[in-house]
Amino acid sequence: MTARSFERFLHLSVDLTAFRETELLGTGLAHHYLAKVRAACGDEIFADLLAAHRLARADATRDAGTCDRTLLDRALRHRILSDDTLGPVARNVIKLWYAGMWYGLPPEWTDRNGARAAAETSTVTAASYQEGLLWPAIGANPPGAKAPGYGSWAQPPRIEERYLKRAGK
Amino acid sequence: MTAPTIANRDDLISYLHTAMALEHATIPPYLTAYYSIHPNTNSDAAHIIRVVAVEEMLHLTLAANVLNAIGGTPDLTRPGFVPSYPAYLPDGEDDFTVDLRPFSPEAVETFCKIERPGTAHGASSRLVPAADSAKTLLVSSPTVEGMRFYSIGEFYAEIIEGLEKVAAADPGLFCGNPARQVGPEAFYSGGGVLKPVTDLDSARWALQFIADQGEGLDSGLYDDDGELAHYYRFRQLQLGRYYQVGDQPDAPSGPPLSITWDDVYQVKVSARLADYPPGELADTARQFNVDYGVFLALLTEAFNGEPTLLQDAVWYMFRLRDKINQLMRNPLPGSDWLHAAPTFEIPAPAGSDQHASLATGEVAQAVPR
Repeated sequence: MTARSFERFLHLSVDLTAFRETELLGTGLAHHYLAKVRAACGDEIFADLLAAHRLARADATRDAGTCDRTLLDRALRHRILSDDTLGPVARNVIKLWYAGMWYGLPPEWTDRNGARAAAETSTVTAASYQEGLLWPAIGANPPGAKAPGYGSWAQPPRIEERYLKRAGK
Repeated sequence: MTAPTIANRDDLISYLHTAMALEHATIPPYLTAYYSIHPNTNSDAAHIIRVVAVEEMLHLTLAANVLNAIGGTPDLTRPGFVPSYPAYLPDGEDDFTVDLRPFSPEAVETFCKIERPGTAHGASSRLVPAADSAKTLLVSSPTVEGMRFYSIGEFYAEIIEGLEKVAAADPGLFCGNPARQVGPEAFYSGGGVLKPVTDLDSARWALQFIADQGEGLDSGLYDDDGELAHYYRFRQLQLGRYYQVGDQPDAPSGPPLSITWDDVYQVKVSARLADYPPGELADTARQFNVDYGVFLALLTEAFNGEPTLLQDAVWYMFRLRDKINQLMRNPLPGSDWLHAAPTFEIPAPAGSDQHASLATGEVAQAVPR
């Protein structure tokens, strides 16, 4: 794995999860996840996924170099999520970051692209449950880990300002 | 022979402010080493550092109790309360500096120096001249310029003697409002106990307890409760074995400790915000410092008549923990593969109104019901 493909995997993950790069690296699991995705879908499809993401980014980039979020959303759906091969892998990358689990790819996918042992449902590391993005997304701690302090459960969940609807208004 | 440096209540108050800064100053170095350890590795070392760090928080609170008992006003938000690392300890020990280091032999060496037993025999040699007055000693003796202490224990011995003297001359010394005292319900997950301070006996107990838990009773291995002193806990990491009762200081004979120095995020030593290239990671590091400042303001409120706020402060600590972990797992660009770490450069409060800064400093807001 090259530093460049790691960087591209991170950029793809930022766009798929809506978490920042610092937060993704902050799980300590980005390298594990890259290795998992690659082993599950194979080098070729993995490279296609990163390439499709770069194209989607290019579609959404305006002349001034800024990214149009609406165009990006559309381009990601068009180039990745609606693609029969890349779509299921991309959905799995989202689930991987959020739940810390690799879910088996659907049978239609393996029929077409071949089955691999690494593609079956599995946990990545013992830490991946604790580091699932699902927990910060809902403002809760993973039950049984990252203890939030006695009595804190009586408080409403804490969601980062930028994720609240009122933030954009 | 050095003359006593504490003559009245004001001197005591200065010393106790220094004591609080001193206890706090040890915590960022311990936390940096503790959180640098990869999850699920080095459990012996992680446990030792964690317990010591939690007990330093107990010491900070006990010092606040003594300060409150004599009518002082604890303030963890004043400029300089958090030292700029690498720092000298606020009691003036100037033969070593304290860095924010990842878990490493160098870090453990520093921890042993922080917790080292005193050598002075009697009050006459407790205070020694500070070696280099040109360097910024944060505070040495807060009342006598150019003098410093050899160990934390000796610093506390000076305060205890001063307390006894001032209390004898001033029956009204312990005039603080008892409602400002923090009681045992606020401390868990560490050795020792939190007791309110209302008179000379309880003040003496609190200060002696701090000294004993750090360096051992009469420089022995164990304190009054049979708990191994911090200095010897850290020595175990250097000597590779646990102590058991009856051991000599240099020859622990308990089970071996397992340490893997490589299972550590190699964070930049005493990182500064200036080491961060502008961007998302720098913003995260800056936000941590803002959050830490807000946390210190919350502790200040808790120590000024609202002890129940300490429960909220514990929640705050756990959130700071998550932020530290996040930073340390990020490589610091431009630092030869070293990782990021919190810098503990606390910004000056935006306004004098603490409640205002509490509201604006936090990024994550509780969701309204």
